[in-house]
Amino acid sequence: MRFSFVHAADLHLDTPFRGVASQAPLLNRFQSATFQALTRIVDLCLRERVAFLLLAGDLFDVRDRSVRARLALRRELTRLDSAGIQTFIVHGNHDPLSGDTGTLGLPSSVKVFGPEWEDVEVRREGRRLCRVQGVSYPDVEVRENLSARFRRTGPDFSVGLLHTNLGGAEGHANYAPCTSAELAARGLDYWALGHVHTRAEHLLAGGGVAVYPGNPQGRHVHETGERGCVLVEVEDGATRRSFVPVDRVRWHRLELPLTGVRSLDSLQVLARELVDSRCASELDGHAVRLTLAGRGPLHRELARPGALAQLEADLREQFAHGHPPVLLESLRDGTRPELDLDAVRAAGGFMGTLLTEAEALAHDDAALTALWHDEELASLGQRLKRLGVDALEAPRPELLARAGQHVVEHLHEETP
Amino acid sequence: MKPGLHIDGFQVQGFGHFAGFSSALGPGLNLLYGPNEAGKSTLLAFLRGVLFGFEKRGQAERYEPESGAFGGELRLVTGAGPLVVRRLAGRRSEGELTVHGPDGDALPESFLRDALTHVPRELFFEVFAFRLDELSSFQNLAEQRGVSEALFAAGMRGARRLPEAVERLRKDVDALYAPRGQKPELNRVMRELEEVQRQLREVGDRPARYFEQREALGARSAEQQALEAELRATAREVDRLSRLDSALGDLTELARHHTEREALPPLEGFPTAGAARLDDILQRRKAYRAQQAQLAERLAFVSGELARLAAPWPVRERADLLRAALAAFSERAELMRGLPARRAALAAKRRQVEQGLGELGLAVDASGLLALDLSATARGELERVAGRLEAADTRCREAESARAGARESRERLEDTAARAETEHAVLPDARPAQVRQRQAAAARFRAARGDLERLGEQRLELRRQLDSVRVQGEPAPAQSPLPAWLVGVGVALALLLAGVAGLQAGWLMAALCGGIALALVGLLAHARQRVEAAQHAHREAHAARQRWRQQEEERLRATLASLATREELILRDLLGASSDLGLAPGASLADLAARETSLLEELHQAERREALQRERDALRTQRDAALRDEQRAEESFQLAGARSQSLRAELGAFLEARRFPASATASTARALWSDTAALRQRLQDVMADEAALVEDEATCHEAAARLQGEAARTGLPPGAVEAVAARIAAALEEVRTQTAEQRQRESSYHDLLADKALLDQHVRDEDGALELLLAKGGCADEESFRRRAGQALRYAELTTRARELSQRIEALTGLDDGAAREATREAGGESGLKEALDFLRERHRVGSERLKAVLTEQGALNNQLQQWENDEQLATLRIQEESLRARASELATRYAADRLALALLGRARRRFEEEQQPRVIQLASELFSELTQGRYRRVFMPAGGERELRVGDGQRDWTAEQLSRGTREQLFLAFRLAAIRDFGEKNGALPLIADDVLVNFDPERARAAVRLFARLAERHQVIAFTCHPWLRAQFEAEGACVRELSSSTARLPGTGTEP
Repeated sequence: MRFSFVHAADLHLDTPFRGVASQAPLLNRFQSATFQALTRIVDLCLRERVAFLLLAGDLFDVRDRSVRARLALRRELTRLDSAGIQTFIVHGNHDPLSGDTGTLGLPSSVKVFGPEWEDVEVRREGRRLCRVQGVSYPDVEVRENLSARFRRTGPDFSVGLLHTNLGGAEGHANYAPCTSAELAARGLDYWALGHVHTRAEHLLAGGGVAVYPGNPQGRHVHETGERGCVLVEVEDGATRRSFVPVDRVRWHRLELPLTGVRSLDSLQVLARELVDSRCASELDGHAVRLTLAGRGPLHRELARPGALAQLEADLREQFAHGHPPVLLESLRDGTRPELDLDAVRAAGGFMGTLLTEAEALAHDDAALTALWHDEELASLGQRLKRLGVDALEAPRPELLARAGQHVVEHLHEETP
Repeated sequence: MKPGLHIDGFQVQGFGHFAGFSSALGPGLNLLYGPNEAGKSTLLAFLRGVLFGFEKRGQAERYEPESGAFGGELRLVTGAGPLVVRRLAGRRSEGELTVHGPDGDALPESFLRDALTHVPRELFFEVFAFRLDELSSFQNLAEQRGVSEALFAAGMRGARRLPEAVERLRKDVDALYAPRGQKPELNRVMRELEEVQRQLREVGDRPARYFEQREALGARSAEQQALEAELRATAREVDRLSRLDSALGDLTELARHHTEREALPPLEGFPTAGAARLDDILQRRKAYRAQQAQLAERLAFVSGELARLAAPWPVRERADLLRAALAAFSERAELMRGLPARRAALAAKRRQVEQGLGELGLAVDASGLLALDLSATARGELERVAGRLEAADTRCREAESARAGARESRERLEDTAARAETEHAVLPDARPAQVRQRQAAAARFRAARGDLERLGEQRLELRRQLDSVRVQGEPAPAQSPLPAWLVGVGVALALLLAGVAGLQAGWLMAALCGGIALALVGLLAHARQRVEAAQHAHREAHAARQRWRQQEEERLRATLASLATREELILRDLLGASSDLGLAPGASLADLAARETSLLEELHQAERREALQRERDALRTQRDAALRDEQRAEESFQLAGARSQSLRAELGAFLEARRFPASATASTARALWSDTAALRQRLQDVMADEAALVEDEATCHEAAARLQGEAARTGLPPGAVEAVAARIAAALEEVRTQTAEQRQRESSYHDLLADKALLDQHVRDEDGALELLLAKGGCADEESFRRRAGQALRYAELTTRARELSQRIEALTGLDDGAAREATREAGGESGLKEALDFLRERHRVGSERLKAVLTEQGALNNQLQQWENDEQLATLRIQEESLRARASELATRYAADRLALALLGRARRRFEEEQQPRVIQLASELFSELTQGRYRRVFMPAGGERELRVGDGQRDWTAEQLSRGTREQLFLAFRLAAIRDFGEKNGALPLIADDVLVNFDPERARAAVRLFARLAERHQVIAFTCHPWLRAQFEAEGACVRELSSSTARLPGTGTEP
């Protein structure tokens, strides 16, 4: 038997883009990007005449309280319903069942899994295609291994739809944790996972596969590159998976080496060339974090008060009027003076002592913790935490090493 | 320890109140003890002044006496031997310095600077020789280059501007965040974030409210539908009753009409509008009969006119022939009028042609002209011959011009050659190379003379240096005045003395005497050893100077010998140059200059003669070429002339054969040929015009004759041909007019006949219609018909009105009149109907108002929902929240990084201060700890650019200002002692001269300080001044060599204590 389906996750409809200010010139393009990504997923389903669509959690963020998100979801799923394509949904940590304070009538072909595990047959033209199993998050924090509830219920092709952190991926809350072995033990053919925003595939023992399609639209500078969903073609129990990009704006982290650059004008030209070469795709827009790197004579000029901000404003203006338009998320100065830190350390003196002390502190957890928990930092950290900013939660040794280098560079530059 | 210097003694000639005072000093610890005003500070100023220059005039520390000598001398023991440094008053305020060796030889001042290891004056005054009031002044000390560089450059590498860096970091930190601040950026961002979150809280749970409102909207929609149904039913009933109400009047009127119609006879078949139709028929019949009478009159008139136009006329019968003759005549009339003028013009043209032929001068008449051969072939032949003749003439002229040019060129070259020959003959016969050789000899002569003079000066200088080196020879230093054997003798004498004392006073006395004697001998041996050491150093210095002098003398002698060899070579060169020049070797420089001037003139003339020779040869060659050119031009001219003659004869023959003048030139022949051809063409044109004129005259005569003939045949009166033509034209116009009128009358006649037939038919039709109408109305005459017609009209009105009323009732009520009457009755008649209507209208008004309120609510709900569906506020707030969170995170990270950097700086600073202090500071730490008996453990300079000393006691750190005066002075003294030791190790040991600097120390610390002085004195000379007996005791306890200064010492010349 042959059929196909689309697997998407983490739509995060209408959630704000990090690093895109409310006054940004391309704001509208970014705001509509998550909606357009969903539209393109539905377009794909219609074009490929798939049997069903799987949405593996975090369709929207209840914190955003967006009515538009729910309306857009209903509108797009209605299109699928009209074409006779079913949709299966589980809710994740960002859109748990408890956060759904109202109901918006979804089409009858949409199956939303509840807090208890369910197993559903998928039929087409009177024939049974496969089985889809799923379970939604009842609340935000689910520490239970939900995959343990799944099991193979028959010889048909079986799909597990789950929002989970497989293998304790870093950078994501460790909700519904599970391992590849645990998933393999459930005996399903295809695990349609959500939660981790980076595309990944895990081949499981026994022939199954667990797939993270990633989120269909990158929302900040740490979600770079193509984003989309996975088109899965099933034939005689075997799957062929192909990634289909659906994002309309794309994020990039670009590094521009300063070596050999003599003037700010040349720097602007190089920056434009770099951005043009990397942001050539015909999308609605691109967002770029540009980091100036390396050592060069411009370092001192960039260190002047206001110089970097002025350069950033100029480049932002230029990029915004390009084709396609590019939003400069930020311009970071990662340049270094023409200074050999090893030589400084070897030469001794105060700067040598400083570097040695910085390295020693970075490896001394107790001393670093003592420094970090100084009264002001601690109270600031608590206030920030109340505001939802977790910048100062734990000591960060890399800041110390960086601080040492910066101070040395500072002293070096001030040496007449 | 590198060798330095110490002061062996001094002699004050005049300084302050000292005059003629001298004293010796030991190499170790010295104390000059004296009461107040004994001159201790004066002596310190004296020592500093002699070594580095007196203070400026007017300064208090200059100590210049009011009269007498000012200055004095120091005896120094240096690494290079003893020196006597003398500084006396002079023109300069610092005094005149002289430096002498031990044997009185004057030495350069650099000997003193070397001995002082080039220590700067300021550094020496601050660190090595200072007063009590200068001890506390660390600021000056720190600003001295020598010290500060030693302190700061070595160990503080990279942290020179650390305080500024720290300050900047602190400012950055303060600008980022303050726990209770408002302005710092992070505070501001957090405040904005709190505000945004507050607004978000106010917005509440938007989806929940959205769904709530949607439910409310659903309820309102249901209510709206129910209300609308009820309103529709009420409205229908109101409408029905209103219609019945409005039809009540029509129902009454309809009943009345029915009654009246039933009273009339049956008139259903009576013609509709019968009276009007009867009147119409009668009126039309009357009008037709009047038209018949008018038509008969018009037919009679048209018949008469047609008979008049049909009468016979000859012109009408021959009209076509007349029209043809007139047309032929009209065509030629214009031509006929121009014939006389054409004839006269042609005669004039023929005369002009004949006149032109005579003017050409050709021997032919008009017929001969036509017979001439002026064809294109003949013309081509003429052009060919004439062209060749003109080319030959041109070449002839060119050859003549070339011949004249060649002749002129040859003559000009001959003139130039003659002038050059003349000038060449007067110049002397000499070659430039010979003259240049003599000029080179003059240059060699001058150079050799210069070299000889310089050699002489160098030889004199070398001899002077050689003499000076020889004069500097010095005697060998004397041997030790105290031979070694004398010590042995002393020991023997001591033993002898002890033996004698033992024999006479017992062993105790013997031991005492022996000890004393041995001590004296020890002292003697020690003194001898010191003297021996000084003499040894002196002897080594003497030997070094002697070796230098020998090497210098040998070098000078070798240089003198090489000078002599070089002088001989130069003399040889001078002789050769003078013989080439023809001058004596001893000729003066003036003779040489005159000779050089004459050589320069000779060179110019020789070069000019050579150039003239080259020019003469060139001119000769050019003249020969010009002569050849002239001959060639002459030949060309002759050839061109012959060719021209031949062609001219050929042209003459050609012209003669064609009856043209044989003597004509080529251009004249061309012009004559063209004129002749043009004239012949004009003659041919005149002859053609004459033939055409004859033909036109014949045609015109024929047309005129035909016209006259036709006029006569028609009977028109004869006359001139023009008049006849006019008469014929008028007659033909008359014929045309009559024919047109006849056609019009005939057409009119036929139309009138047709109209008459039509009118007759109309009259018959009307008669029939009258009879038929009377028959339909059932009447025999018009009177009865008119009476019945009035009754029929009323019947029709009633019927029409009844139908209208029925239709209106049906339109208003939707019912026929019977049903409407029945419905009215059911509603209770008219009064019952009105009451029911009022009730229903009130009910409808109330329902409408409720519906309106529901719709308003629904609109508001819809608006709210739509607003929420498209609401940007929430999204904007969330974007702001995320942006502010990101900004706060970034700022907090920067803040943390800056605070970590500050903490890191503090730790690095402490570590650096502990581990990496310069050696001077380390030494100062040790010395200060010793001075304070361990009260303070360390001295350090804070990292960075703050040039201050700090001390630590293990608990906390102190700045110098925070210490008591005594402790502060101990700190600075310890630092100076450390600096002196460090300086001594690196550069050379210099003496320490301190003027009563221990007076603020407590006894313990003073004792410790003196101990440090004594320890320092092991390598450095220490000269201390004090007026305090307890300090003197301390110094004496440490073995200081004490010299007393009394208040009268200075005024007693030569009474200083001697060692």
